[in-house]
Amino acid sequence: MEQLLANPYVPPLILTAVIILVFPLIAGYIVLAERKVLADLQVRLGPMRVGPYGVLQPLADALKLMLKEDVIPSQSDKWIFWLAPVLSTFTALSAFAVLPLSDRFFVADVNIGILFILAMSSIGALGLILGGWSANSKYSLMGSLRAAAQMVSYEVPLGFATVTAIMCAGTLSMQGVIASQLERGVWGAFDNYGLMLIPTVLFIIAGTAETNRAPFDLPEAESELVAGFHTEYSGFRWALFFLAEYAAIVVISSLCVTLFFGGWLRPFPNVAALEMPLNTAFPAALFALIALGCSKGVFRQALAGFRLVMAALTGLFLLVAAAFALPAANELMIGLFWFGFKLAVMVYMFIWYRGTFPRFRYDQLMDVGWKWLIPISMFGLILNGVVQLFARG
Amino acid sequence: MAETTLAPPEVQAETLLDSNELVLNMGPQHPSTHGVLRVILKLDGETVLGTDCVIGYLHRGVEKIAENRTFQQFAPYVDRMDYVAAVSNGLGYCMAVERLLDVEVPPRAQAVRVILTEINRIASHLLWLGTHALDIGAITPVFLCFREREEALKIFENYCGARLTTHAFRIGGLQYETYDTFEKECLDFCDLMEQKLKEYHDLLTGNRIWVRRTKGVGILNAADCKDYGVTGPLIRAAGVEWDLRKAQPYCGYENYDFDIPTAETGDTFDRYMVRMEEMVQSCRIIRQAVDALPEGPIKGKVGKVIKPPPGEAYVSIEAPKGELGYYIVSDGSLNPYRVRVRPPSFVNLGALDKMCRGSLVADVVAIIGTIDIVLGEVDR
Amino acid sequence: MASLIKTFLLTDLLKGLWTTFKNQKPSKVITEQYPLNRPPVAERYRGAPRLNTHPETSETLCISCNLCALACPEQLIVVTSERNPETKRKDLTTFTYDVSRCMFCGLCEDACPVDALELTQDFELATYTREGQIWDRQMLEEGPLPVRYTH
Repeated sequence: MEQLLANPYVPPLILTAVIILVFPLIAGYIVLAERKVLADLQVRLGPMRVGPYGVLQPLADALKLMLKEDVIPSQSDKWIFWLAPVLSTFTALSAFAVLPLSDRFFVADVNIGILFILAMSSIGALGLILGGWSANSKYSLMGSLRAAAQMVSYEVPLGFATVTAIMCAGTLSMQGVIASQLERGVWGAFDNYGLMLIPTVLFIIAGTAETNRAPFDLPEAESELVAGFHTEYSGFRWALFFLAEYAAIVVISSLCVTLFFGGWLRPFPNVAALEMPLNTAFPAALFALIALGCSKGVFRQALAGFRLVMAALTGLFLLVAAAFALPAANELMIGLFWFGFKLAVMVYMFIWYRGTFPRFRYDQLMDVGWKWLIPISMFGLILNGVVQLFARG
Repeated sequence: MAETTLAPPEVQAETLLDSNELVLNMGPQHPSTHGVLRVILKLDGETVLGTDCVIGYLHRGVEKIAENRTFQQFAPYVDRMDYVAAVSNGLGYCMAVERLLDVEVPPRAQAVRVILTEINRIASHLLWLGTHALDIGAITPVFLCFREREEALKIFENYCGARLTTHAFRIGGLQYETYDTFEKECLDFCDLMEQKLKEYHDLLTGNRIWVRRTKGVGILNAADCKDYGVTGPLIRAAGVEWDLRKAQPYCGYENYDFDIPTAETGDTFDRYMVRMEEMVQSCRIIRQAVDALPEGPIKGKVGKVIKPPPGEAYVSIEAPKGELGYYIVSDGSLNPYRVRVRPPSFVNLGALDKMCRGSLVADVVAIIGTIDIVLGEVDR
Repeated sequence: MASLIKTFLLTDLLKGLWTTFKNQKPSKVITEQYPLNRPPVAERYRGAPRLNTHPETSETLCISCNLCALACPEQLIVVTSERNPETKRKDLTTFTYDVSRCMFCGLCEDACPVDALELTQDFELATYTREGQIWDRQMLEEGPLPVRYTH
């Protein structure tokens, strides 16, 4: 066993398999979180019927999507129609390969990790374009044209913001970026006397556009184009597009967290005094609090089955809280915890925008991209470069 | 800002389609055509070259039904035209029949009518605001608007027992006396609205995306408004101070002190601001009417059987969407000889093509939202 | 200048974000979980029709005057009666009310001179068949069977 694990190919392979198997479930729960958070923002409750407080909703959704009739429009280009969601999902999941989930959990730490992610997300756009084009529907076609234009335009400010961060870190490797932040003792976002905030904000805006999220969700603007590029998709194919979209969100958020918010590092990684409260007490207390909330649910639910689910959740979260209190387990998981925590905050922000802002119009989107974001991102790059040149000597 | 100044080439009708043109069929099943409106768009890329409205998917022949109903029996049907502003419809119809009968409506009934129609105006505008924002992509206002609209509907439910198709008024006055907490609930509703309008302004008015999506979109100037016969918030947004409540006061509106909100350019943003301000003015009217609610009978001298003398009457009122007119011809029998409705939505929809030309597909959705149509009224 | 700074600091957008953020307070939730929590229905609510009977003798209050049938815009009420030779009064024999066509305008209720026909607060009128929507006299007097929901 130890010998097997020592083989340099085995752990990455295991992790890859775990990501591919677990991510659909995670995506399902991100969808549930999105529905719940949106409901909160909109004074509603969200899903409440499948399981207590709707916690089993993703499973029901997945089952429904898999059992649905597989419809391929008769006038469509069938091979491309088939290929498009596969392409989107494949590229989006491939990008996970270089994500530094923690100091010990990552598939590969290649020295061009960031380039790889950008490349993969660009190819992902191809899936959208092909999917919209092959369906042979006017709404889909317009959606995919919008997707193409949007992806091309927003890749540029995204690239500039990334380059600024890379310049600050001095490496293209994802783990290297985090290591440099640890070394400099400050998150990427606040480096260079806070001037790095410019690329940070731009990265978040351009990243939102890159992942086709509101207010930049033009390719699937439901009030104009019905559903945009996936109008004609249904069932499992549609689910794949959905999976790809959420994978893209996770990837872009991870990239943002890694470049600007210290990746799996805890806040203030150089202040030793905070080691105990932030690395042990905080996660343990957080999960204990969640467990407490779940335990309240045990008594509020009327149905025995629902009570059982709530009790199981209480136990699970208590177990996690206990694990964080154990030094050995804590050491293993703490990187993962901080990475996941920061990722959750990012995803929450994505949902928050969606719940607040109206949608841009096509020409305005281009206008914002080319006339504002690109010049500002170039300006940010030069400014940070000059500051870095003189400040670091 | 104004990106929509592309000179619209005239649509070459009935010739072969230019290879750059795309015909897009929007509706009748489309998320944002507000029901079963079908718009055929002629596009060059995303630019709209021309639009063609196809209506009638919700045609029920309401005007013909009227000829087979007694005057009182037809009253519930008018609620089903503009079902979002059912009270206004009922008011217009009742006033038309009252003019035929030449009866005087007691002051208390008139005041209650004013209160309920103004609450209904707010409810209608709330629905418009929510759906309009939803069309432009802001998904939260619709829930907030429905939350407040619910309070308005509760007042209707408490007053007359129905929430949407209220049938609140009867010919000659009212059927129901107000209930105990009526005044308090109305005033509370006004307080609530004034408080919540700030929330909507925070969410939308200042928001740069909202401003960019609405400013300069779907401009309809005063001259065009008059040409198309457009009324209501649309003509007021173009700078014409035309409100039937002031121009030809009815139902005692001359006793209330309120302003007519107007704007300058007549674009989508102006119409938005005009409607938002109208809600404030409606609150003012409700407060005044509740404070000065007179005592007295609630029904005029109308017999059990309504049989107007032969003649005709046209009454128009300021419905939330514009001028709502009822033209009724009586031949002296129990049934109206002919009822003709001038629905504001239908007339306003006529200006859609004018407003859409040269704009983008996303604007078409915004413009349909800003006209504030209800298909039940357009198709009748 | 101030407006330029505001543009770059995205204050308008932040204001909107704060507005939606504030809405997350659990006390602000307005959803009613319908079959679990039943909404209060107004006293004057116009719902399912009911033919009232005398509370003591449980005889019908209806005097078979047919005014409701005449008032109904949809002509969905059919009242039949026969003359009682002893009291010289009309006795109600059948009373049918087609709920499927009813628009709950309340005109029948207004027309009734003896408060026999009434629209009640009951609003759950779904049936499994179209025929189930045509209520006969017994149904109108006893009301639809109460339906219990579990979720």
